[in-house]
Amino acid sequence: MQMTVLAIALFLMALIAYFFIAAIWASGAGQTMKNAERTRSRFILVLLAVGAVVTIVSLKSWPHSVAVTGPSTTVNVTGLQWAWDIDTEEVPIGHPIIFNTHAADVTHGFGVTDPDGRLLVQTQVMPGYVNQVKYTFDRPGTYKVICLEYCGAAHHDMISEFKVVAQSGAEQ
Amino acid sequence: MIKAKHQPQEAAVKFTMLLAGVVLLLMMVFGFIMRAAQGGMIEIDQALFYQIMTAHGAGMVGTAGLTGISILWYFTGRYVPLLAGVFWTFLGLFLTGVVLILGSIFIGGYAGAWTFLFPLPAMSGGFWSNEAAATFLLGYIFIGVAFLLLHLEIARKLIAAYGSIGGALAWPLAFGNGRAENAPPPTVVAAMASTLFNVMGIVVGATVLVSSLVNLMIPDFAVNALLAKNMIFFFGHVFINASIYMAVIAVYEILPEYLGKPWKTTRPFAIAWTMVFLFVLAVYPHHLLQDVAMPAWALIMGQVVSYLSGIPLLAVTAFSLLVYLRQSRVMYWDLASALLVLGVAGWSIGSAPAIIDGMIAVNKVMHNTQWVPGHFHIYLLLGEVAITFGFMAWLVKDPREKGLNILDLAGFAVYLLGGVGFTLMFLISGALSVPRRWAVHVPEWFLQDRLATGFALLVILGALLFVVSYAQGLRKKRTR
Repeated sequence: MQMTVLAIALFLMALIAYFFIAAIWASGAGQTMKNAERTRSRFILVLLAVGAVVTIVSLKSWPHSVAVTGPSTTVNVTGLQWAWDIDTEEVPIGHPIIFNTHAADVTHGFGVTDPDGRLLVQTQVMPGYVNQVKYTFDRPGTYKVICLEYCGAAHHDMISEFKVVAQSGAEQ
Repeated sequence: MIKAKHQPQEAAVKFTMLLAGVVLLLMMVFGFIMRAAQGGMIEIDQALFYQIMTAHGAGMVGTAGLTGISILWYFTGRYVPLLAGVFWTFLGLFLTGVVLILGSIFIGGYAGAWTFLFPLPAMSGGFWSNEAAATFLLGYIFIGVAFLLLHLEIARKLIAAYGSIGGALAWPLAFGNGRAENAPPPTVVAAMASTLFNVMGIVVGATVLVSSLVNLMIPDFAVNALLAKNMIFFFGHVFINASIYMAVIAVYEILPEYLGKPWKTTRPFAIAWTMVFLFVLAVYPHHLLQDVAMPAWALIMGQVVSYLSGIPLLAVTAFSLLVYLRQSRVMYWDLASALLVLGVAGWSIGSAPAIIDGMIAVNKVMHNTQWVPGHFHIYLLLGEVAITFGFMAWLVKDPREKGLNILDLAGFAVYLLGGVGFTLMFLISGALSVPRRWAVHVPEWFLQDRLATGFALLVILGALLFVVSYAQGLRKKRTR
């Protein structure tokens, strides 16, 4: 997903930059722009229409949903300065894992990266709350848990690991 | 041109901008040091890294606020008589706050980031004392009071001159039968809206700052962490946005001198600023999209308003500027006009990655990666700060000279090249899942870090040329 996001962002940034460069290039020429206000109105309507579509498509399925219909596994994770306490070393492949995250001291950011270092999922971990996040792993390997909320002078050392394996007991 | 009725407080603002220019340079050097350390090019103690990070964040946000409100003060002073004593009191309180913050960081060792996320100030893991954290928070309170004073003076004078808040916001034109020729100038509309939302942000910020201070003294006085985070990000978001919305006044006031036509308050402009006022207040939950304990409606509001916030910027400010540029017969380019147009372009371009990150599904894999400093550095470094340097160039510009001299051109070119490269490295790193705010990076991330360090050097070189040119201009003692 990240590379798609980067490509879309770079395209939009280049598009906006193009309009600026074109106007800078044309500055001083005294162009007559009789339809500028009509163009502005259409531009606003297009932006609103695109926004409506993007909103509906991106929120049609709630990104934070932890609802499951089949078997799932629950993992309890506690963040503390500066380590992760995870109640399992292995999770099964192919069905949803619900991470229940707790904070023992300050706010942390629970982030899971795949064996290639790509961020898959995250949630804030906040004192006084149990924040849940769901993810279904589709390939075995060693995954890292990193901290994604600045939590003090050894924030970057808050790294832990778990394995995603093909066979493991699942609970309903 | 809209005729100025009063004389702005030029000396006070010129002095402030000199201070701001020097501080901006220092903060850029801090940024350079952090990127070099992340790239393994230099070695610094991790506690010192996070102290520098805290100083860089607080310093950049504070300086953006300082320059934004100085621009607002200068140009609002053309339309209403503002008390000079209030500005000097503001500057005194602001600098007192700066001393407290720098002392708390570099003497007390405070490294809780500019966001002072509760309860981190009180739980340092042994790296700083409660006294250091309290001094940092107290510094913020001084700066908040300083801004509040200035805004109250501005609000008082604008309401007196334009009859009401709605009058200063051009509501009769936006929502009634008012005529454009009777509407207040764009500066007044922008000053009133910015003042309103910044006052609200500062009051909420002061509340959470005082609560955090009490927590430091009486640990049993616990604040709900989610409530505190909401308040902090409401304050932080409003404050940094206010700095950009205040700075854009320089575009409304200065560019007409180059374009040969005034920037007018039209109905779209008036409606846009009321929308901006509402959006700035409502959008802050887009900073909390990974706080799953937040109500779903608040997160949806964050995503939707984040997108809507781009419309007044792109369809009103940027669109109008592009039309004015194309229509102008007399437009010419010098350092001031080039930087001011760059500022609007940078702000607009930076909105694209910001809005994309404001989508909950995207935010799930981009939040708190380097994507975030990527987008905010675009609309600060190439937006607010570019406008600031443009304003400074205009303040000391010689009216007999038209055009970019070789030093101006060199400064602009290296600043632009450095800024584009520096921010792109952040975006690419973000897409590669490099976390933000990590003192130590793995070798796989070094390439972007090292390239960014080189680009940061170019930015510093460009900014240094701007500040030196400004200081030289001040010595010539030209008056406007």
